[in-house]
Parts: sequence; C-alpha cells; structure tokens
Amino acid sequence: MKPLAIGLAVIFAVLGVLYLLGAVQLFVSHPGGRHLSHFVLFEVLAALSLVWLRFQSKKPSTPSMR
Amino acid sequence: MTWFQAMLLAVLQGVSELFPISSLGHTVLVPSLLHWNIDRRDPTFLAFVVALHLGTAIALIVFYRADWVRIVRAVLASIVRGELSRDPDERVGWLLIVGTIPVALLGVFFEKPVRSLFGSTALVSAFLIVNAFVMFAGEALRRRSERDGALALPAMTWADGAKVGLAQGAALFPGISRSGASIVAGLLLRLTHDDAARYSFLLATPVIFAASVLEIPQLFAPTAHAVLAQAAVGGVLAAICAYASVAFLTRWFHANDLRPFGWYCLIFGVVCLILTFTKVIS
Repeated sequence: MKPLAIGLAVIFAVLGVLYLLGAVQLFVSHPGGRHLSHFVLFEVLAALSLVWLRFQSKKPSTPSMR
Repeated sequence: MTWFQAMLLAVLQGVSELFPISSLGHTVLVPSLLHWNIDRRDPTFLAFVVALHLGTAIALIVFYRADWVRIVRAVLASIVRGELSRDPDERVGWLLIVGTIPVALLGVFFEKPVRSLFGSTALVSAFLIVNAFVMFAGEALRRRSERDGALALPAMTWADGAKVGLAQGAALFPGISRSGASIVAGLLLRLTHDDAARYSFLLATPVIFAASVLEIPQLFAPTAHAVLAQAAVGGVLAAICAYASVAFLTRWFHANDLRPFGWYCLIFGVVCLILTFTKVIS
C-alpha cells in the first residue's frame, strides 16, 4: 500500500497546483480563473496521503482499520 | 440591505445553521416571505454571508473547545508516533477527518452548480418537506434498530465515519439540513441522539470554518466596504445565536428526538409551497 499512498500524494499535490495556476478547469464554478479552494482541498488530501504512508510503515502494531 | 434585514438574517443564520431545519432554505424562503429584494449573488451580500458563517464556525469551536483541544492533541500525537492507538479522542479525530473528506469534495466540486440549479422557492420548499421525511424516517428506523443496542461514537468504523460525511453532503440542496442529514445518518448507524448530534456538530465545524476562511478575501474587497459594519455586527450576532443554539440542542438531544423539527419543516415547507404556487412569494 506504500506505493499507492506515495502515488496519491503526488497526484493530489500536482492537481492542487494545477488548479491554483488555472491549468485545470474541471468541475469549477467560474472557468478561467485560479481556484484556491480546489488547491487547498488537494494539498490537504496530499498531506493525508503522506500521513497514511507514515501509518503504513508501522502497521503491525496498528489497531484494526475497519 | 437595511440594518434590520442584516440583523434578522444574522439571527436566522446563527439559529438555523445548527437546528436541523436548513439554514440555506431559510435564508432563501424568509426574505421571499418578507418580500425583501435581496440579490443573493451580489458581492456585498456574499461578503456579509461569509461573516455570518465565520461567526457560526467560531461559536462551534468555542462551544466544543475542550473536545477540540483533546482531539487535535490526540491526532497530532498519533501522527508523530506513526501509528493509531485505542484512545477515543484520537479515534473521534480520525473519524472526523474521514467524514470531512467526502463533504469537502462534494462542496468544492458541486456546491455552486447545485445551489444555482435548485435555488427557487418552490424547490427549496419541496426539499424542506423532503428534509422533514428524512428526519421522520430516520427516527422510525432508529426505533426499529434500538433492540440491537447503541453504538458508542469511538466504536464507529472508518466507513461509518465516511457515510455520515457523505450524508452531510445532502445539505448542498437548499432545504436539506446539514445537521439533520448527518444526525439521521448517525442514528441509522445506531449512535445515540447525543453522540449523533455531537459528531454532526464537530463534523460541521471544519467544513463551515474552512469554507468561510477561504472566502475571507471577499470581506476586504472594495465592493464589501459598504456592508463591513453590518458584516461585523452580523457575524457577532450569528455567533451568539449559534452558541445558544448548540447549547440548547445538546441538552435537547439528551431526552428528545428529531420529530419536532421534522414537523416544523413539513409545515413550513407546505405553507411556502402553497404560497409559491399561489404566487404570493416568488
């Protein structure tokens, strides 16, 4: 699962920057502009992916992830 | 917008954001009932609304400040350790994060298109009636599953946490209550009314707070200068009303359920629907 966490972190981080620069305009309310809320959302998701990666490295003692 | 209108909207927002009666629905229907000519897309009005939401979010943070301190500490400690423990505050913290992801995704991608498509008084009234039946159905199903025993909040699974967050996303439709949808989802997962309401209010906090913080620049735009004083006073008033509302609701759910709010939404929705079709409001 570690490669998945790293991959997600990279994808989210890049997507966030692309939304901030206005290079991606998918699902936006005002096409053509920069999208700060999309940027913040994707950077938070990237950070959470890295946290997930950190938890993966110590998984044996982790309680059930039901 | 007059001062009277601004202050009434602030009280309406502070109260209806946390009561399961849809704040968005009320801020559409009440100005229509009073025949106020307010352009909801006007930048000055949007700036005013940002201040009201910020006040509501601050009231929630202040009310649950002890919980937030414990939760944030526990979550940060788990990140530093690199592993999850059985600490209930840590568990609730991660459940809140898991629950916030779906509603944040739905909000960022779909909030504006959905609200512009479904913002007419007829549709908002209809959604208010749907909101009532969601609460009635939630209470009925809850009573049926009572024999299985209640589930403690930290005992929820990650999937359960996400389901409640997803339910909160239903509030994108004006007339569907954020807290109503998430409390019903919590009840269906066998949480008690107390825990369902607590999880709902904690879950709403980061969403309302982040949404309003991201919109703060609107408050300092040149177009907003005309309403800055109203926004400041309105924000404080909304915060006071939101604090009083959450204090009342946490006590209410010790011994009561959602049905009175369901009846209110049903009656108000039907009345507004009739008034819309008879062209008394538009």
